[in-house]
Amino acid sequence: MASVDPAEKRRLFERLSSVREIVFGVQDGVLTTAGVLCGLSGAVSQHSQVVLAALASTAAGALSMGAGAYLGTRAETEVLGAELELVRVEAAAQPYTVQEGLLDELCKEGLSREAGYRIVRLLSTAPKALASTAEAKMFGLTGGAFGKPALDGIVMGIAFLAGAVVPLLPYMLIPGPRYDLGGALVATALTLFGVGYFAGWLAHRDDRWRSGVRFLAIAMSAAAVGYLIGLAISPLGATAG
Amino acid sequence: MLKPGDPAPSFDLEWALDGRIAGSSLAKISSELVLLFFYPRDFSFICPTEVTGFNKALKEFAAEETTIVGVSIDDVDSHLRWARELGGIGYPLLADPDGGLARAYGVFDDQQKVALRATFILDRKRKVVFAASCPLNVGRSVTETLRIVRALRTGQLCPADWKPGVEFGPAGRDF
Repeated sequence: MASVDPAEKRRLFERLSSVREIVFGVQDGVLTTAGVLCGLSGAVSQHSQVVLAALASTAAGALSMGAGAYLGTRAETEVLGAELELVRVEAAAQPYTVQEGLLDELCKEGLSREAGYRIVRLLSTAPKALASTAEAKMFGLTGGAFGKPALDGIVMGIAFLAGAVVPLLPYMLIPGPRYDLGGALVATALTLFGVGYFAGWLAHRDDRWRSGVRFLAIAMSAAAVGYLIGLAISPLGATAG
Repeated sequence: MLKPGDPAPSFDLEWALDGRIAGSSLAKISSELVLLFFYPRDFSFICPTEVTGFNKALKEFAAEETTIVGVSIDDVDSHLRWARELGGIGYPLLADPDGGLARAYGVFDDQQKVALRATFILDRKRKVVFAASCPLNVGRSVTETLRIVRALRTGQLCPADWKPGVEFGPAGRDF
């Protein structure tokens, strides 16, 4: 039987827990910057001004996304922590309730009542083991449920930057008003597909290309709908002006 | 839930006693009183405190001519293993797998699919003379149940918190 190093697996799971921030950040960075480039290309004639504005937007977006991820994770951690503390206080006051609750959960997962009872009795000899198992089984709370605010913020910010660079680079490197924007859009599409493919690879999926296409389709659909809404409301702006 | 004065529904079910399975019925019990207590499940964490609590007080209940019968929806094989797990139980554990008896006594919890933690004391005529139930998460008091049995056995007017040695209330006096 192949041996599994629990510590190594745990570290892997902790690293993978950042996938949400990476995918979200890259996708948002790519699309936001591509949107800014598209919008400014039509409105601003000077290439350098478009690049500067996109760079400013990228910096602001990365900071905003990083701060948002930090604050969001921190709030989530605090709320979950407070709830968990309440559960622990209640469990200390009413251990039978925890034992019965855990027993019910084990039975729901297929153990016979007798086997579940013996397991809970064994766990009850070590209160810490009983508490952590009950928290995981009864409330779905584990150590991994608590994110790391600072790490999430940094990962999100860097992911946004990495995503934003993709449409910016061709725009800066390819001369000519027609090719620079086209290059940016092609790079955007390829990156979105790549992120989906990467997520599929992490999930050990056989149909990674499908994961990539789905990601691309959803992200581009969102962008297209946003563009259409912009078109629809643009007459209002003209009227107001 | 049945109340004092109601006739006690009879039963003809299997029970586990002394490591054996046997068929039994209410009619076969000849003691003065029957203490019929329902509990939710074998192999649980509140019920054993009650089951063993009644077992520890078995002699005191026997001295009051009272037969104890425990009932749950578990099958009789489970009762056997449960009694063994608890170190042996000296009174029968009645198997009510379909909850029919619990329903007849009005103590079946349809949501949880178990019997409530209910206690009935039946007199010689097998009428209910005492009925009480506790929430599923609160165990009942063996001492209080024994006090009730003793009070019932006196046939006297027993004031609040009466226990052996305390004066009975005189007939006709309001409490």
